[in-house]
Amino acid sequence: MKKKFQNSKTETVVYFICSLVGLLIVWQLAVSFTSLQKVMPSPFVVLGFIGQSLTQKIGGKILPLHILASLKRVFVGYFLACIIGIPLGILMGCSKTGKAIVKPIFELLRPIPGLAWIPLAILWFGIGETSKYFIICVSAIVSIILNAYAGASQVDQTLVGAARMLGAKPAQIFLYITLPASVPQIFAGLQVGLSSSWMAVIAAEMIRANEGAGWIITTGMESGNTVQILAGMISIGLVGLLLASLLRLIERGLCSWNIQGR
Amino acid sequence: MKEKKLKYTLISTASVFCFLLIWYLIADVFKVFPSSTFPSPFKVATAFVRKLTVTTPDGGTLGKHLIASLKVVLLGYLLGIVIGVPLGILMGWYRRVDLIVKPLFDLIRPIPPVGWIPLMILWLGIGIQAKATVIFVSAVTPAIINAYTGIKQTNPVHIWVARTFGASNFETLLKVGIPSALPMIFAGLKVSLGASWMALVAAEMLASTEGLGYMIQMNRMVGKADNIMVGMITIGLVGALLTYILETLEKKLVKGGRNK
Amino acid sequence: MISCKHVSKTFENNGQKNEVLKDISLEVAENEFVVILGPGQCGKTTLVNIMAGLDHETAGSVTVNGKQVDGPAPERGVVYQKTALFPWLTVEGNVGFGPKMAGLPKKERKEKAKHYIDLVGLSGFEKSYPIKLSGGMRQRVGIARAYCNNPSVLLMDEPFGHLDAQTRYLMQEEVERIWSQDKRTVVFITNNIEEALYLADRIILLSNCPTTVRNEFKIDLPRPRDYISPEFLKLREEISKHVETTE
Repeated sequence: MKKKFQNSKTETVVYFICSLVGLLIVWQLAVSFTSLQKVMPSPFVVLGFIGQSLTQKIGGKILPLHILASLKRVFVGYFLACIIGIPLGILMGCSKTGKAIVKPIFELLRPIPGLAWIPLAILWFGIGETSKYFIICVSAIVSIILNAYAGASQVDQTLVGAARMLGAKPAQIFLYITLPASVPQIFAGLQVGLSSSWMAVIAAEMIRANEGAGWIITTGMESGNTVQILAGMISIGLVGLLLASLLRLIERGLCSWNIQGR
Repeated sequence: MKEKKLKYTLISTASVFCFLLIWYLIADVFKVFPSSTFPSPFKVATAFVRKLTVTTPDGGTLGKHLIASLKVVLLGYLLGIVIGVPLGILMGWYRRVDLIVKPLFDLIRPIPPVGWIPLMILWLGIGIQAKATVIFVSAVTPAIINAYTGIKQTNPVHIWVARTFGASNFETLLKVGIPSALPMIFAGLKVSLGASWMALVAAEMLASTEGLGYMIQMNRMVGKADNIMVGMITIGLVGALLTYILETLEKKLVKGGRNK
Repeated sequence: MISCKHVSKTFENNGQKNEVLKDISLEVAENEFVVILGPGQCGKTTLVNIMAGLDHETAGSVTVNGKQVDGPAPERGVVYQKTALFPWLTVEGNVGFGPKMAGLPKKERKEKAKHYIDLVGLSGFEKSYPIKLSGGMRQRVGIARAYCNNPSVLLMDEPFGHLDAQTRYLMQEEVERIWSQDKRTVVFITNNIEEALYLADRIILLSNCPTTVRNEFKIDLPRPRDYISPEFLKLREEISKHVETTE
């Protein structure tokens, strides 16, 4: 059984490499032999461009610094969303009165996509950093609140009963039962929220910015530079992947009790 | 029990009322911010009614923008789920498809759909094709993931039962795999819808000549916050309505409830 | 010491009344091991919850050690069918949970937990999370957790219902051993006659829906008992007859 599992794992890796190489070959062939070459650069040109821009500036900054600028915005906005969203969600999940107060307003605002706040944010806070933090926060907060709420309201009542029988007071039940029991759900929300933030920063930078990963692809569009757009997209994808893995790593550390047989 | 329910309904109503009241007080009574950037709820309501017939400053009535947006979003969304759901099912059921398609999918997936906008505009212009493609990309990802996960979570016992009764692999997929994945697939359709609606707004803000996203973006340039809010509220309402329609459809189609 | 007098419980759901417990009276003496034997799904857990103080009777009264039960208290420990261990705490954390709530310093808590972990035979697993333990081991932790809070009364609600037959026998022997070493007043719920006979000083037989007390049997066999001794089998047959007639 175990051996078979390992085999299938190597198989997955092999197929992954094969399809990556296959994609590059098909891409290269399509660019070399079809009319696609008019609109699409070869993959090696794009990879070369990424390599080059590690040291050469695009619009005043090298690529890593652009990414760093985007990341800084994400962290401020995302952090805000976490410190507002998690307590609010838990409040909704734990207290019926809190839920009655917060939920209807939340439900009114929830259907408005985070990116639809961009024009209003620019009008309110100008085109500077504040409006970007606001948009990122608004985009991330919905799933953070929803998941914290779900986590706190779906705590197994047998566990609460068991804790009460062992002498836990309401405050202790909140601290030692409700909070730890919601952690996996909260992390699910943090994960979705993080990818929403990353998307929001790209969108916000595409609309108004003079640096960042989103700025790279829009300026690429404006100057008709497909290489720059593709290089930007690849970097955005890689960083998004990296952020998600990072959070998963933190979750593993914090919720080892929830992961079966490792 | 009933009294308690009534109590919470009252609190909820009061809470929404307070929200509107505070908004009104800040905007109209204390005039904390200029009314061009922070209009009161009444101003927004008036603007809403006015926007139904007036075309300035963004070249269209609310209805025209709404229809333009709906056309694009439905086109992209339907394409996305028509391709995404079957692809996800095939990936989940046939190991070979899984091994070939999954890595490709995983390579492309981390790029947020919004990131596709510049490339699509460059290739396809600012017409309906570019926007529909971006929405397609947004819709197809969750559709694939959920159909895939739904199929992968099929109870193996159910598959064995079908097999011992002599069902072929394809019949088993049709009669066991897909029905048991249906709740997951529907959850994916909902996520897809939300993502499509979000991508539409972004695409229209960046490059368009009509649509709700274009409308709020144009009104920002002329500094009319009341029209922006009208646009945002419409976007929210229509998004909620579309989700509601999908949920009604789900209740009719998914038999035997969600499997826990 | 537990005393239930004319306890009834009726659930109301959308105007429909569902009588679960009907006029139940029973007494449990100090350090007595009483097994409540009942068929089906009806009412046994509700009875435990009422004795625990997690639920309230609609008529009658329950007293423990002479005091009216009106809420959970650490003097009553519960062992659940589905263990109800806190999955985010280690074995040590679970067992030491009660003392922690009572504000005991960390060092004393650890010593106390260690003592009861040893008692249930789980030495070496102090740092394991419940998800890594087998069903029988989880029940051991549940028992240690209840014991560690030093309750005078232990309520055990079908604790071995989810275990396989082999583990179940083993755990019955373990409970008997633990209880003999550290005696408490025990109310043990089960639907398994053999289990009841192996453990009980006294068996109280319940009827089904609405649940009432049907019969009582004093079991005077010497401990530890032998599942296949003639006396055991004879009693088993006798009680079986009563159970069958109540179905």
